[in-house]
Amino acid sequence: MKNRLKVLRAERDWTQADLAARLDVSRQTIVAIEKGKYDPSLSLAFKAARLFAQPIESIFDDEIEVTGS
Amino acid sequence: MNAPSQKPSNTTTNTIETRTASNTKKLALWTGLWSISLALVAFGPKFLWDFHTVITCTLIVTNLFMGYKMIIANKEHLEGLDELQQRIHLEAMALSLGCSVVFGAVFGLLENVRIIASSPNPSSVLFVTGITYGIGMLIAHKKYL
Repeated sequence: MKNRLKVLRAERDWTQADLAARLDVSRQTIVAIEKGKYDPSLSLAFKAARLFAQPIESIFDDEIEVTGS
Repeated sequence: MNAPSQKPSNTTTNTIETRTASNTKKLALWTGLWSISLALVAFGPKFLWDFHTVITCTLIVTNLFMGYKMIIANKEHLEGLDELQQRIHLEAMALSLGCSVVFGAVFGLLENVRIIASSPNPSSVLFVTGITYGIGMLIAHKKYL
């Protein structure tokens, strides 16, 4: 799953440790999410969305195209 | 659009690092006490109190209590980790449990099928559990980090 965490974090001039502290996870977890090696749980994704004040789908992209019926 | 750049709400009293450090210390304490009590149960009767039944039984009960506290401390330690750390431990445990079952099952049969002469020591399975847990942690760390 692609995500914009790194961009959003950079916009706010936060380090990975800063973001980790704000989301109450380890810095390693932020590294893994930013690298796309780990997909966060729904609750962590919502927490990130609240933190950045953005819709969850604007931060995380599951890369599946939705076609109309 | 930008979220306010306030400081993280988690103060130094309850960050994941301080929580994990505290839980790790607690786990180390109870694991140490359990190990000492186990050593006393194993060697005390022979070297310290000449197989006195009451003392040995008291030590066994103490050892079981220490084991209980260690299990609870381990549970709290795991619950205090974040979701990726928990997943890493879960994958390590899956490998460890699987290997222990497979190794333990065949190891118990070795005497019956006359591959070895002496009775297999069940505690050997603990070594397999520990070693494979460590290997599992390394593999999972490499996978995610």
